[in-house]
Amino acid sequence: MGALATTASPVAAAEAADIRQYLTFALGSEMFAVGTLSVKEIIEYGHLTEVPMMPGFIRGVINLRGAVVPVIDLAARFGRNPTQITRRTCIVIIEVPTGEERHDIGVVVDAVSEVLEIPAGEIEPAPAFGAKIRTDFIQGMGKVNGKFVILLDVGKVLSVDEISTLASVAGQVPQAMAA
Amino acid sequence: MNLDEALKTFIIESRELLEQMEEALLHIERAQDDPEIINAIFRAAHTIKGSAGLFGLEYIVAFTHVAESVLDRVRSAELQIGADLVALLLFSRDHIGTLVNHADTGEDPSEASNVRSRELITRLNAYLGHKAEVPATAKNGMPAELEPHLERSSAEHVETDNWHISLRFGRDVLRNGMDPLSFIRYLGTFGTLVNVVTVVETVPPISQLDAESCHLGFEISFQTSVDKAMIEGAFDFVRDDCQIRIMPPHSKISEYVQVIRDLPGKEMRLGEILVQCGTLTAAELEQTLRQQAQSEAQDKRPIGEVLLEQHIVRPEVVAAALDKQKQVKDQKTAESSLIRVDAEKLDQLINLVGELTIASAGTALIAQRAGITELQEAASTLSRLVEKVRDSALTLRMVQIGGTFSRFQRVVRDVSRELGKDIELVISGGETELDKTVVEKIGDPLTHLVRNSMDHGIEPAEVRLAQGKPAKGTLRLNAYHDSGSIVIEVSDDGGGLKKDKILRKAIERGLVQPDANLSDKEIFNLIFEAGFSTADVVSNLSGRGVGMDVVRRNISALRGSIDLDSEEGKGTTISIRLPLTLAIIDGFLVGVGKSSFVVPLDLVVECIELSDEDRRAANERNYLSLRGQVLPYLRLRDMFDVKCAPVRRENVVVVQYGNARAGLVVDSLQGEFQTVIKPLSRIFSHINGIGGSTILGSGEVALILDVPRLVQQVGSQAEKSCLEAA
Amino acid sequence: MPNQKTPKDGSAHFAIEGELTIYRAAELRDAILPQINQADVLEIDLSQVTEIDSAGLQLLVSAKLEAMIRDKQLHFTGHSEPVLEVFDLCDLGGFFGDQVVIAPHTAH
Repeated sequence: MGALATTASPVAAAEAADIRQYLTFALGSEMFAVGTLSVKEIIEYGHLTEVPMMPGFIRGVINLRGAVVPVIDLAARFGRNPTQITRRTCIVIIEVPTGEERHDIGVVVDAVSEVLEIPAGEIEPAPAFGAKIRTDFIQGMGKVNGKFVILLDVGKVLSVDEISTLASVAGQVPQAMAA
Repeated sequence: MNLDEALKTFIIESRELLEQMEEALLHIERAQDDPEIINAIFRAAHTIKGSAGLFGLEYIVAFTHVAESVLDRVRSAELQIGADLVALLLFSRDHIGTLVNHADTGEDPSEASNVRSRELITRLNAYLGHKAEVPATAKNGMPAELEPHLERSSAEHVETDNWHISLRFGRDVLRNGMDPLSFIRYLGTFGTLVNVVTVVETVPPISQLDAESCHLGFEISFQTSVDKAMIEGAFDFVRDDCQIRIMPPHSKISEYVQVIRDLPGKEMRLGEILVQCGTLTAAELEQTLRQQAQSEAQDKRPIGEVLLEQHIVRPEVVAAALDKQKQVKDQKTAESSLIRVDAEKLDQLINLVGELTIASAGTALIAQRAGITELQEAASTLSRLVEKVRDSALTLRMVQIGGTFSRFQRVVRDVSRELGKDIELVISGGETELDKTVVEKIGDPLTHLVRNSMDHGIEPAEVRLAQGKPAKGTLRLNAYHDSGSIVIEVSDDGGGLKKDKILRKAIERGLVQPDANLSDKEIFNLIFEAGFSTADVVSNLSGRGVGMDVVRRNISALRGSIDLDSEEGKGTTISIRLPLTLAIIDGFLVGVGKSSFVVPLDLVVECIELSDEDRRAANERNYLSLRGQVLPYLRLRDMFDVKCAPVRRENVVVVQYGNARAGLVVDSLQGEFQTVIKPLSRIFSHINGIGGSTILGSGEVALILDVPRLVQQVGSQAEKSCLEAA
Repeated sequence: MPNQKTPKDGSAHFAIEGELTIYRAAELRDAILPQINQADVLEIDLSQVTEIDSAGLQLLVSAKLEAMIRDKQLHFTGHSEPVLEVFDLCDLGGFFGDQVVIAPHTAH
């Protein structure tokens, strides 16, 4: 626990201590991970319906056994080029806690690799700078076989409020006066 | 049904009864003479009291009993009902509601509730001519003029000198070696059995009879000089397993009424009930019947009237007996035609029907692809049936809006008292039906609009009189169906909106450009803009805590729209337009590029091809001529920025929402489609022009167009370009 | 004892003799029911009833109700003194609607 004592957010530390299992996946050449507790399922990419007037990182919606679930392009959300669809492209369905309710959101990833157990002691806090993505997206840095895996804070990355605001800006059709 | 469920039913039913009671109370001032309304109020109180007794909820019984007694006097016309009494009864109703809530949570009433109970009982007792509960006021000089009143109040007692004994023997009385007849004979040893009526209705026919079980009951009119304890003593041996009710001479009518109500629930002729009660003798009844037969040649009068005319029975007793008869009938019809269903079960059914609809569409699609004729026919039969199932499932959840409307009687009453204004609520179209899920969500916005109209719309009486209007303001709630929507109107005959003030304020707040050229409607609708409503005296419609923008947002969340019309000095009408259901609709599928969109079929007027001429002119103008009429249109391809190669032919779907028409230009028309509405993630809450989503037969998601919004958008664009052209 | 008499004019006759009380209620019920089942018009002779209690009274009421429901005629005849006393006490003459010899009025 010594390493965790320096963590800026005690809440994140507590969560990290709880979640031991992580699903790792690739975006480009980098490895990311999310706690398995928030992963609902992994499906093949396909049958996606685009929603017009949305920012690029919102790919559209899919039918998940009768429920309509939005799909986010994670790479685009991090400000990189949109994910190129290949045979290995997957959609990971993640349950995002939003206040009282829970939201299912799909994220597009290049490939899902494996489920790993990362002991709390092997997790270091997010670096204050130098990371390639927004630091508030990072819950911690897991050390696996001498390499770093970025553990994502899904509540931040997939913040419904933030995405909805971004979507409204993109969807705004210029109008002299909203009647 | 276990006790918990029974209690739940009691609570639900009590709340319903309280609602009816409120509605009736609000009506009664205007319809004093309608005995039905008084009866309805009385019945509600009586039923709640009776059922509460079954659950041992003494605090409800004790309080409701007093209210019931007052109502009973109103019913027998001994008490005139006036504004003060109505107000007191309304308070009592509310308080019963509070007590029922206690029963719901399973807590004993709070100290505050008990204090309130005592306070209201004291006030109610004043109407009963009882000594007030506070002895000081009663003893310290009762006003002289109250005396005759007290004397008159004895009219609520029956006139016979007889005791009345009502006996229902327990099943095992005979087996336990006791003979009910011997108890009656024993009574005869210390008094006169004026009349004994054997209650035979409870005895089963011999084929179903267990001859050793007792099913007998007796109603006895008894004259004696002994006291109640002595009479009671006669039944010492059977008291535990029998229902025994002993009423002294000149008992209160209400107690008699109780006996009538407690009689076995079979339909009985009024006369018989009265005889059984001991109020009438068989001879008196016979005489009455003869008279009725005689007068029948001229006019057929109900026996109750004849009895009254003969001064044989007191009106109150007749009323109770008639009531009993009616109640028995009402109960029968209600029981046979209605069942109570858990709302959750209904929702579940609707969800399943939704899934079924999607699955059926999928089947149809596959059948079409397979190219097997029989399979296609089978699939289309299936779709037709599914459509019918869907329609009837949806009607299950349809409720009349009247229930919601009538709740406003109370709001209007309370708020007008609060404001010191005299305002009448006029309700129409209460029978208009809409989905329960919509009804549940419309209450808050409506309350806000109603309060606003009363607070700021309707002027104080002096102002109204000065303007030649009647002092009493009128608020109207109206509802009607209009092409797949329900329209709810809130209108007042108040001062109306002041256009220049609104415009000035909107410019001040930067909502519009100072040089903007706006139509009246656009100006009025500015009050729905966020950041417009303030406590300032800008308009008639500043809010109480929430602004009108919140109202509009709530309505939009229901896929509805809100519109306002006003004439200065005359009044304001706000129309809310809502979809009938939020679950499943008939949709019309259109294609734009590779995507499919759904237009609610109810809003589609017709489809036409976009002519080459109009296509060529599309860059200069965004309207076309439809049989000589100007039709503004919107190209979805442009609006949604679809990048696919343009198609050779484009089509126009003409839609109408309210009074406005618009054309939506799409690539292809794909036909009708049963659309199960799936909510879109909150991520898309600000999206423009898309109202929801649905799942196609192929399993893919299609988006539902927000036609109201699109029509509005097209309309304002067209108006602008017209203005520019002008 | 119950006693089946020979039918004369198509109607059945039946007599109850002795006690009409709780002690025999079940037995008499089983005896009367088939009589009602078989005949459309049934007369029950009560002249030999020596004693009647509430159970007996209830049995007669119940038999009458059965007949009424099934649209059959059931008459009680020759009411003995104890029967009359109970009918009188309970004011049931009108309910049964039978000619009672001693009290000459026909209640209806």
